[in-house]
Amino acid sequence: MQTVARQQRLTDLREQIAAIEKRPLLAEGAALLSKEGEEGSDWQTLLKAPAGLLQEIYADDLRDSTASFGFALGLARQLITEARPAVLFLQLTHEAQETGLPYALGLKHFGFDPERLIIARLANPAELCWAIEEAIACRAVAAVVAEVLGAPKVLDFTASRRLSLRAASGGASVFMLRYGLEREATAARLRWRIASAPSRPPPFDDQAPGNPRWQVTLEKGRLGQRLETGLEVLVDWTADGFVSAAERQNMGDVRSRPAPFGAASEALCDRLSQAG
Amino acid sequence: MLKVPFALYEQQKGAMRLVALDERALAAGLFATQSLSDARSLCPTLVVREVDHGFLAGVFADFADWHSYASPIVSVLTDVVPYGDLVLDITGVSHIFGGEQTMLEKLTTRLEGLGYAVDGAVAESVGAAWALAHFLPGRVAAENIAAVLAPLPVAALRLPEEQIDGLTRLGLKRIGDLYGRNRQALTARFGASLILRLDQALGHIEDRVKPRLPLIEHFAERRFPEPIGLIDDVLMTAHDLAIRLSSDLERHGLGAQSFHLYLYRVDHQMMTLSVKAARAIRDPHHIARLFSHRAERLGGEYDAGFGIDMIRLAASTTSTLDAAQIGAFETHDGTADLDRFYDRMASRLGSEAVVRMKFVNTHIPERAAAFEPTISRTLDDPLAEPNTVIPRPLKLLPQPEPIDVLMAEVPDGPPGGMIWRRVRYRFPKASGPERIGAEWWNSDGLPASTRKLEDEGPPLARLFEHGRVTRDYFVVEDDEGRHFWLFREGLYERNVTPAWFLHGVFA
Repeated sequence: MQTVARQQRLTDLREQIAAIEKRPLLAEGAALLSKEGEEGSDWQTLLKAPAGLLQEIYADDLRDSTASFGFALGLARQLITEARPAVLFLQLTHEAQETGLPYALGLKHFGFDPERLIIARLANPAELCWAIEEAIACRAVAAVVAEVLGAPKVLDFTASRRLSLRAASGGASVFMLRYGLEREATAARLRWRIASAPSRPPPFDDQAPGNPRWQVTLEKGRLGQRLETGLEVLVDWTADGFVSAAERQNMGDVRSRPAPFGAASEALCDRLSQAG
Repeated sequence: MLKVPFALYEQQKGAMRLVALDERALAAGLFATQSLSDARSLCPTLVVREVDHGFLAGVFADFADWHSYASPIVSVLTDVVPYGDLVLDITGVSHIFGGEQTMLEKLTTRLEGLGYAVDGAVAESVGAAWALAHFLPGRVAAENIAAVLAPLPVAALRLPEEQIDGLTRLGLKRIGDLYGRNRQALTARFGASLILRLDQALGHIEDRVKPRLPLIEHFAERRFPEPIGLIDDVLMTAHDLAIRLSSDLERHGLGAQSFHLYLYRVDHQMMTLSVKAARAIRDPHHIARLFSHRAERLGGEYDAGFGIDMIRLAASTTSTLDAAQIGAFETHDGTADLDRFYDRMASRLGSEAVVRMKFVNTHIPERAAAFEPTISRTLDDPLAEPNTVIPRPLKLLPQPEPIDVLMAEVPDGPPGGMIWRRVRYRFPKASGPERIGAEWWNSDGLPASTRKLEDEGPPLARLFEHGRVTRDYFVVEDDEGRHFWLFREGLYERNVTPAWFLHGVFA
């Protein structure tokens, strides 16, 4: 009796090893559809895609670059684990003034540990491409966020296909931040379009800006049962991650940290001596 | 080589004078310090160039580095002339070449074979060796250095012109004349440097030379019977050497953070490739990979000339590194992976390209976060941890951009709108101000302007200096939900309209 059970266990283990050894190069498509932990109402897991995907995040205009950066960080934060603690942000050096440099205090306020974010400043798109590949080959990188202005030649369809395969085998996700209304042929599994939306004012101050709110459209790909191509959602970014704007209305303000901007004056009280 | 007399000249006090001549020019009866026009009239075929001291010093420094094939401590003596005097510390090296005399001959004949005029000497102090090389070349002075130096002129002590003139006028023409003189009197008349040089030459006082290359304790090298040229061969050799160096380091229980690959070219040029690592390493494959990334960055700069006949791989900045378990039962260490990744990035993109963020203990926004290369990280300042409740933008513009503000409430209300990069925005929502003043308690230590735009176009925001500038920061939201971080520089005063800037953008 015992030997039969042992035989069974051994077979199971062998199958597990076989599954691990098989390179799941193109298996990521299936993972997208059958997302584990499919809880219909949980918005935080709704936007959560499995690791190892190439995703594109489009904003209409360069001035929205920080919104898409924030959205990408929000997605990347969900992928951070103990074994993969780092997120890499790639930017061309001469474009820093155009789109701004990540700011450690801002990241902290946003709810992203600045210690996790590594910034690489590159000279040209070819270096950018190289750096993405090198980063996803590293087992400690959870996600790569790359800012791409315009449509450089080296990042064509072939390159995106290559990156997609590499990401799938390496296990790190790649978020390409791109701008404009034109869409290029891409091998990215998911393509988002993001735009800012007027925020919900924080409690007790109707005139102050509230938490970031984004209009998110899934333009390509499919995520779980509920998020299909073309679906638009309005999400707020809070201390707990993404929250549906509609849902938050019902929930009340219990979860509306981090620090609505109106509360700033409160924090400033103890620094009055420094003012002026 | 030129078939005509050749000389270098220099502008000296308004006259052009010859400073260096070749054999043909000397044979034509020309001499140094002769005026250029005299020389030309005496020798019409003379070809001249103006001397470029900086260039010559650079070339000579490379030439000096190349001699590290013979001894690791190589230095250029610059106190008499900026170039031309090469010092090798051959302590413990000469036996490889078969003794001091043979080593001297080997080195000088090799240079003569390349067409250089060279004189050399071996002695137990730098000063004595210099004196012998200049006045008694070819000598190896093993002992009784005072007796050997005694008959040489005082100029052999590396003295400035005035001191030589003064000594000659007093009849002290030879070094031996200085022995046993009243040292105080000599010091009073000629300064302390004369006695110092004398003591250095006699070995009473140690004369230190500044090694041109980092001192290396662990290295592996390979000499080639036939020179090699292809970069792939060089990298393959680097890999082999890394394996040898690694086992050497392992034997001593060490790892290193910097590795240098010295390529000695046949034509007495040397190339150096250096890579750095974020932590002490000795994995030969990792080291070899760093060098191949570094070589990729070289691109067209790589030039093997007539070939490379020796390669040396050296490790510096060593520290103890215990043996690690690899293969079976290896524990997966994420930070080690990350460090290797930083090394690869830094070797390919340059060490400044990959940075981490660090808090700085100040409330001045642009200085509160600093960037630091990941491969040379320093400790965090526990006092610098910021207050997370105060709003700060996700991205900061390296240089605040000037904006035109529409309808700002006086004296300290938020603006109603702005024009930024030629686009008009309206702000239905705003909060603020958050007033940030200069650090009056720290007014002297402020660095000068650190950031500059290339073209002097728009007015730049002033840095906080000497307690004069105050900024009022506002968080504003436009119609479409974008959040910006603006500030007004200064306060509204009579006849003064303060300027507004955009400093950052929220998510």
